[in-house]
Amino acid sequence: MPRTLKINNKEYQIDLTGHETLLEVLRNQLGLTGTKTACEESECGTCTVTINGKAILSCITLAASVEGDDILTIEGLSDVEKLHPIQQAFLDKGAVQCGFCIPGMIMSAKALLEQNPEPTREEIDYALDGNLCRCAGYIKIIEAIEEAGKIMKQGASKQPTPRKHSDISPEKITV
Amino acid sequence: MLLRPFTIYTPANLDETLRLFFSLENVKIQAGGTFLLNSLKLMKKRNLKTPQNVLSLRKVKELKGITSDRDTLTIRAMTTIDELFTSSHLKDNFSVLHTVCRNISTQPIRNMATVGGNLTCRYTWTEMPAAMIGLGATMHFADKDGKASSLPAEEFFKSNAKTDKLFTHVTIKRDPKSSIAYRRVKKTQYVDIPMLSILVKTHFSNDKWNDTIVSVNNCVTFAQRDSKLEGFLNSSRSSKNLGEEALAHMDNTIYDNRSDEYKKHMFQVSMKSAIEELASSRN
Repeated sequence: MPRTLKINNKEYQIDLTGHETLLEVLRNQLGLTGTKTACEESECGTCTVTINGKAILSCITLAASVEGDDILTIEGLSDVEKLHPIQQAFLDKGAVQCGFCIPGMIMSAKALLEQNPEPTREEIDYALDGNLCRCAGYIKIIEAIEEAGKIMKQGASKQPTPRKHSDISPEKITV
Repeated sequence: MLLRPFTIYTPANLDETLRLFFSLENVKIQAGGTFLLNSLKLMKKRNLKTPQNVLSLRKVKELKGITSDRDTLTIRAMTTIDELFTSSHLKDNFSVLHTVCRNISTQPIRNMATVGGNLTCRYTWTEMPAAMIGLGATMHFADKDGKASSLPAEEFFKSNAKTDKLFTHVTIKRDPKSSIAYRRVKKTQYVDIPMLSILVKTHFSNDKWNDTIVSVNNCVTFAQRDSKLEGFLNSSRSSKNLGEEALAHMDNTIYDNRSDEYKKHMFQVSMKSAIEELASSRN
């Protein structure tokens, strides 16, 4: 059955049987491989995306059940010219080691900072408690999120404005 | 594919949900999906039979949200744990529920998991059942004609959390004169599911304990009340040693059920600490 998924401000017409997870659709049908696959049982957080601004796990989300929702993956966070402040802060703070967990970390951070631009360390810990880093690089990751929060709060005057995907008319794609 | 094929239904309102739920054969309900999806993956791995139909409640507006009047809090089935946790009304008026939600799993799971799923998934290691029994909550259901019925949470879990109706919401009476202590111990440092949870609620008249509820989830059976301990506490007055004395009156058929020495010890430590917290508030 054809379903319309709104992903990174593009509307995708996708034929779904019903049992496809969002993770499988993103990676296998749409080629959006920035969302990583690892445990596939909601333990590791590498498959985190945001739906309507909330961090969720795409490995335990049925794609057909999120029709009409606003889905954002790591690919939709910035345009090709400028990184999102969170991505830039991760680079500046050296928060990336092997990098596998980073898309999930950044999506969780995005959900947090949109709600709370000045989180305490405890609040960052709490918001990222579903994201595991096998390199155990948590300190730098937390510092990067603190930094990103400051940059985002300073606003557009000094930094590139993150694209608000909800403000842009969706592009329509049939898969 | 992680899952075997099935047909998914995404009704937008309660009437359509009830019609589908009572007409489809071999159907499973998906609330937040945090238990269901992993169960279905496991069933596929083990080559077990999986359902033909899944009914997602995600878009059913009537099943979402928290409302409150002067006397009663209403939490609809599809309210997420995060929505409960971030509700300022809940934090101010039902602070123990705020604490219960804070300790549930991880942020993305709290964003997805629902009160309805936590109460009716029939897994024993969930946090809400002990809290709802302790708070004297009532669970509400709808049958195929939309007719409403209700059952105290305690009775629902006594009957092994089984129902042939659709769970719609839970209500909790405001009880500002009660004193409540809650304890939860997670299974291991790394796996954030509970090993046990305890809620003790009482009403003090001076230092005497009245109408005490001790609600326990041993995570092996469904949550239940410890009537033996309640009887002891209701005949007691707050004292420095009450927590220690209470340990001799715990109903060990609840606490010893498939418990190793560590778990038994943690039950005792948690119960003693919860009772001492309440007793010290009256000393």
